[in-house]
Amino acid sequence: MLEIKDLHVNVHGKEILKGLNLKVPPGEVHAIMGPNGAGKSTTSYTLAGRAGYEVTKGEIDFFGEDVTALAPEERAARGIFLAFQYPLEIPGVSTMNFLKTAMNSQAKIRGEKELNAAEFLRAVRAAAKELNISEDMLKRPLNVGFSGGEKKRNETLQMALLKPKLAILDEMDSGLDIDALKLVAEGVNKLRSPDRSFLVITHYQRLLDYIVPDVIHILAGGKIVLSGDKSLALQLEQNGYDAVIAKAA
Amino acid sequence: MTGSLSESLLATMEKRRGAVAPWLGDLQGQAQEFFKREGLPNRRVEAWRYSDLAKALRDDPLPDATPVFAPELQQAAVAAFVNGVLDDKSSYARIGAVNLRTALGEKDSPLAGVIGKVYPQADHPIVNLNTALLEEGLALRVPAGEKVSLPLHLRFLWTSAGSDRHLRLLIQLEEGAELTVYETHDGAPLFSTVVTEFTLGKGSKLTHIRQESFLAGARQAAVTLGEIAEEATYRAFYFSQGGQFARHEALLKLAGETAHAELDGAVMVADQRHCDNTTVIEHAAPNATSNQVFRSVLAGSARGVYQGCIKVGQVAQKTDARQLSRALLLSHKAEIVTKPELEIFADDVKCSHGATAGELDANALFFLRARGIPEAEARAMLIEAFFGEALDKIESDVLREAVAKSVNAWLTTHAGEAAHVE
Repeated sequence: MLEIKDLHVNVHGKEILKGLNLKVPPGEVHAIMGPNGAGKSTTSYTLAGRAGYEVTKGEIDFFGEDVTALAPEERAARGIFLAFQYPLEIPGVSTMNFLKTAMNSQAKIRGEKELNAAEFLRAVRAAAKELNISEDMLKRPLNVGFSGGEKKRNETLQMALLKPKLAILDEMDSGLDIDALKLVAEGVNKLRSPDRSFLVITHYQRLLDYIVPDVIHILAGGKIVLSGDKSLALQLEQNGYDAVIAKAA
Repeated sequence: MTGSLSESLLATMEKRRGAVAPWLGDLQGQAQEFFKREGLPNRRVEAWRYSDLAKALRDDPLPDATPVFAPELQQAAVAAFVNGVLDDKSSYARIGAVNLRTALGEKDSPLAGVIGKVYPQADHPIVNLNTALLEEGLALRVPAGEKVSLPLHLRFLWTSAGSDRHLRLLIQLEEGAELTVYETHDGAPLFSTVVTEFTLGKGSKLTHIRQESFLAGARQAAVTLGEIAEEATYRAFYFSQGGQFARHEALLKLAGETAHAELDGAVMVADQRHCDNTTVIEHAAPNATSNQVFRSVLAGSARGVYQGCIKVGQVAQKTDARQLSRALLLSHKAEIVTKPELEIFADDVKCSHGATAGELDANALFFLRARGIPEAEARAMLIEAFFGEALDKIESDVLREAVAKSVNAWLTTHAGEAAHVE
């Protein structure tokens, strides 16, 4: 479903990704781990289509289509979802209005029928209940005054409603204590399915105890230097990035 | 051109002088003398530095599309001014308002004690010009304790390029009275001035919603003069899309203890439009409060001006006065000028002012787009949110929706405009 080929990306004129290759088949959970400055966030922003992340070479094929020239909203409508490391607080935009606009915008881009008010409410209530999100949270402006855990649960709710084919979780564990992390991971695990893939981007191995990956890739110096099964995470935990990367080289 | 315009204005003043109402005394004569001496304000006058009226009137009027008029408010007393002439068929008399033209034709009038007497501005160029050319307007006095349930809709419709009128509105609220005024300006006056004088008696409350949706060629200078007595409240929302020249000044005097003025401004200007909001709030009594927040969104090569002056007199201890200007610039050619002025002569006061100007938050914009919301719509959402807080403060659902409609109409046309700018 996702195949990244020899991807080179410049940010502010500096090359950050230097030939990234990655293949994620349907239904699999892949983790990208790497030290600070390896290009983890650049990878997630580039996949989502953020302005300022300039692809100078290579392709991002999503179901066989190169999406590098598509706008963020067009990628979203094709099923690419980025869960933000720091979800934005947007005062003045209610969570409900935001969710409805997002769902209907995607439907519109895909040429599908938009939800009416009742269908939308039913969908939100069901998903919110599943993720333990209160009605009160939904009434508040988007993420305003939410705790770290609430913000991440809200991201999970958006994922549940938007039903992406590829979910990129960018440092999902940032700013979460262990209880909040468990709760969020539980939400994510409920969304695992044979036709949905995950790309879990993380610095620490901790998150992978709760969202168990099929494959782990180590990103260093702008490319994948090593791939393996989940035991790779333990090696990293014990020996540190430097030793593992040195061994791979 | 200014010469000839000034001359023609003077000629009109000469004709008008004395021919109107004996009870005005020499009010018009003095105003005319001032105009003769000072002429139209230009940028060499400090208060008009960023809004050069003389130049705007010298320029050729911009061609305009057919105006779309704000619908007449239902369940309201309506005063429709068609090209500056009060339509006598409109329903303003329902709440006791009177046609100023009629009053000016009479030998004597109780309005003698009102007109030109509210927070007098002897050296104000627009007030003087308006006074010298006085012929049309409306007056309303709300007796003590009366809470007027019907809002007064002042509906200004400018249809032809030849329209050139100078209007005076007089509103007096006696002790404990309450009134809502909804003022809409549509179309494109060639040059008009509107001067409103209001007095608020003890504990009275005036809600003033001003909605300027001019066409691009409109040229108007408006002044609202108000005196607010103890425990009275002036609650205003000023919406403006600017014009070739659009300026509104609120000159307010908080004359009694715990008097309160609350102003919210929402400015949405595009293309080459100009919009000026100027406020002077004089705290002339202790414990009075004022709060003003002006929000501007500027696109194209539009220019917004906000001048906010707070004067705190020596007696006005425990004053609490705040002002804030926030601007969103959607294009690199758009411009906002913010000029705060604080003149404080009391020592135990709280006064604050602040100004921000910036682009739409790129992070928020990306977040919305990454969820599938197209750029223009995402921008519109963020701009709407920017005005949301101010709109929420409009108590009447009908009026809030009317203003929201103008906001949304503007967004439909202009929110996506800066899409190419990064």
